[in-house]
Amino acid sequence: MATPVIMPRQGQSVESCILTEWKVQSGDTVAEGDVLAVIETDKASFDLESTASGTVLELFWEADDDVPVLANVLVIGEEGENIDEFRPADSGGTSAPEPVAASTSDTNIPAVETTAQPQETIAPSVGSVSAPSAGISPRARKKAMHAGVDAEILVGTGPGGRVIERDVDAFLSGSPRLSAAARVRAQDGLEAPKYGSGIAGMALASDMREPGAIDGADVTPVKGIRKLIADKMMQSLQGTAQLTLHSSFDATACQQYRKKRLADGESKVSINDLVAKAILSALKLHPEMNAHFLGDRLAVFHEVNLGIAVDSPRGLMVPVVEGASTMSLEMLSAEIKKKAIACRDGTIQPDDLSGGTFTLTNLGMLGVENFTPVLNPPEIAILGVGGISVKPKRQEDGEISFVDQISLSLTIDHQAIDGAPAARFLQTFVNHLETHPGENPQNIEGEE
Amino acid sequence: MKYDFAVIGAGPAGYVAAKKAASAGLKVVMVEKKKLGGVCLNEGCVPSKTLLQAAKTYHHAKHGSIFGVEAGSLSFDFGKAHAHKNSVMDRMRDGIAGLMKKHKVEVIEGEATLVKGGFSVNGETHEAENILLCTGSSPTIPPIPGIEAEHIVDSTGILNNETLPENLVIVGGGVIGCEFACVYASVGVPVTVLEAMPEICPNLDSEISAILRKELEKKGVTFVLGAKVESFEGKSVRYNLEGESKDMDADLVLIATGRRPNVSDLGLEDIGLDFDPRGGVKVDQRGATNLPGVWAAGDITGQAWLAHAASRMAEVVVHNITGQKDIMRHDTMPAVVYTSPEVAVVGLTKEEATERGFKVKTGKIPMAINARYIAENPGEEGMCKVVLDADTNRLLGVHMVGGACSEMIFGATAMLETELREEEIAEIVFPHPTTSEIMKDVFMAVR
Repeated sequence: MATPVIMPRQGQSVESCILTEWKVQSGDTVAEGDVLAVIETDKASFDLESTASGTVLELFWEADDDVPVLANVLVIGEEGENIDEFRPADSGGTSAPEPVAASTSDTNIPAVETTAQPQETIAPSVGSVSAPSAGISPRARKKAMHAGVDAEILVGTGPGGRVIERDVDAFLSGSPRLSAAARVRAQDGLEAPKYGSGIAGMALASDMREPGAIDGADVTPVKGIRKLIADKMMQSLQGTAQLTLHSSFDATACQQYRKKRLADGESKVSINDLVAKAILSALKLHPEMNAHFLGDRLAVFHEVNLGIAVDSPRGLMVPVVEGASTMSLEMLSAEIKKKAIACRDGTIQPDDLSGGTFTLTNLGMLGVENFTPVLNPPEIAILGVGGISVKPKRQEDGEISFVDQISLSLTIDHQAIDGAPAARFLQTFVNHLETHPGENPQNIEGEE
Repeated sequence: MKYDFAVIGAGPAGYVAAKKAASAGLKVVMVEKKKLGGVCLNEGCVPSKTLLQAAKTYHHAKHGSIFGVEAGSLSFDFGKAHAHKNSVMDRMRDGIAGLMKKHKVEVIEGEATLVKGGFSVNGETHEAENILLCTGSSPTIPPIPGIEAEHIVDSTGILNNETLPENLVIVGGGVIGCEFACVYASVGVPVTVLEAMPEICPNLDSEISAILRKELEKKGVTFVLGAKVESFEGKSVRYNLEGESKDMDADLVLIATGRRPNVSDLGLEDIGLDFDPRGGVKVDQRGATNLPGVWAAGDITGQAWLAHAASRMAEVVVHNITGQKDIMRHDTMPAVVYTSPEVAVVGLTKEEATERGFKVKTGKIPMAINARYIAENPGEEGMCKVVLDADTNRLLGVHMVGGACSEMIFGATAMLETELREEEIAEIVFPHPTTSEIMKDVFMAVR
């Protein structure tokens, strides 16, 4: 009995996943639990495991397809079984691929415009090898014949995909002559540059490239995590009123505290862990900073879900440490570490990447002195931590000495909060790190 | 004086560039220190081909009996052959001079040196917006003790030798060595070729090289492979073979160990020109050097060492100067050895294609299956070999030895330039009966 494997739902907000890589092909024998494919949500990537044992009968999607959750991804069973009932309606399908440029034939836009590029590439007017279903106008056929172009290979933009004169014109104006070998690659969907490297600018097989390619650059589609980050950053800068306050703190107390912990045989914590702890401590006194700005409403949260910006091979990720306000320093440190590793390994769960109420981002280890963090909306504050620099400081006795100073930049949404309360939050935060690093908020309550 | 385009060297790169640039409306000057025509016309292609034809004519006369032709008593007047050679050269030089005049290219006789923004010659400095360096190459003379002796000549010297020696020893079994071996052996001079590598013409497909070697052996050439020449003493040549020193007498010795780019005395270091590791002027695919407005083409770049490659490189340079996109495609550059039989190749060998990552399939057939070939070249071995990309059936290389195959290699070049596949080539009609049909038939043997 043939069994389909579906695209699992990855978290509440995920509607589709990109199938980034197949690990099996038709005809392979698989067991339950075997990895079938690598899938990627807009936040992280996962292995798609088999829910059945048997032979892979058909893959319904191609690598890089965007597959809706709960759709059938492939079907497993015994060879010869009919699998038509499992075929999803909207899959690209590997057994019956759509002509590459066929989508353009449904519109009335000339093929050249549908792929208009700022760079010198031509539209993929040469589409599938099959003849256009809606035929070729006599005028187009005559013109193509005169120019030595095979009208059968053009993609039509006339009614119902009919090849009309403008399709021939578009083909002639934008395309170099293709070598015989290059033409075969054009039928595979590759595009020629405007000027090929062959005789009199003829495009050779080695010139043919993926649609949208740019000379002298590696071009990849913006999708998955990159797309999410792009959308989110634009939304952030366009939809909020960002104001950044710069400050710094004397790291001497933090450094002494870390040394003492080591001397006392306690677990190692990083400056970043102490900074996280100080945020929680300061938020206890300034809860208005722990909020979401929702346009017509402002939600101030009772608990802190601390987002930590992590640089992963897939791009920037912000895992969230839930319920951080009640954690001990050790727990907080362990939790941050665990989430960061999961991000870097690609095993982070989608639900761990949402729900933050305040975000910490640290570029100090990369030698950055100061930067303006970009808000992670609807959060209203993000604290950026820079690197250590040696700065002169007047001590209580009036003498000048050099201390390790760490820079801070707090970006707030001025829609939700003003500069002064944000500055007061920073003061509390700095005071905590300079006097009681690592300690719980209650120990310093009332100091303000 | 201020010129749009200055050409330094009047060889196959120089005069082609000068004519082409002048036709495009540029004010052009060409400087030459010796004679118009460069190495090709004066010390290379043209004189050697004239002598090869003389040798071939003698050979045909001597071996005509299979066709029923008996020439009776036969003699060879080397001096007359040289006279013909000289008349061909004179005529071609006049042709170039006329061409330059017709296209209003100013020709200056003298040695040019480059200066910033121009060049100086005969004590005068001229400005030039663009300069093409195409001073060619010279034979290399390896540092072998005794090599200065009078009976030891290079390829330029042997072209002026008008007496047949008692025997000829050629150091170097490359293209030049093989061509002169063919000339002298065909007219009855015992020839020995000492080649340091395990096979002659090591850049060719090894099967093609082996057939060429066997055919030259039939003409009376003795090849000593793996031989390293140690010294010359009097008329004796000492060489090392498998660790053992051997001596042989030589009436005339030809040093044919290669060529080097002519880059000295041009002031190139002074203007800061970059060189490639082989000593040639470093150029990109367009022929541009590291200095704006300074271009180079032909042997001076240390690439190809072929007159037709030099002309093409020059054409690419002029196209780029006059705003037409063009780049050099060395992969489709044909190469010929003008021996009897000739060798003609274009594209990649099987080894080169494999190295580039192609999945390769090859096909080869003997020339002897071709009617026209055996009618005209009785008893001569020949071969046609093709290299294809197994994934796309695209032709990657054609390698031929036999008859006058140089005359049909351009067909293979056109196939490579347009990246034809087996399927398209199958539809090309080859006239019958011609030797070129071998290029159609060879695909039947592809696997």
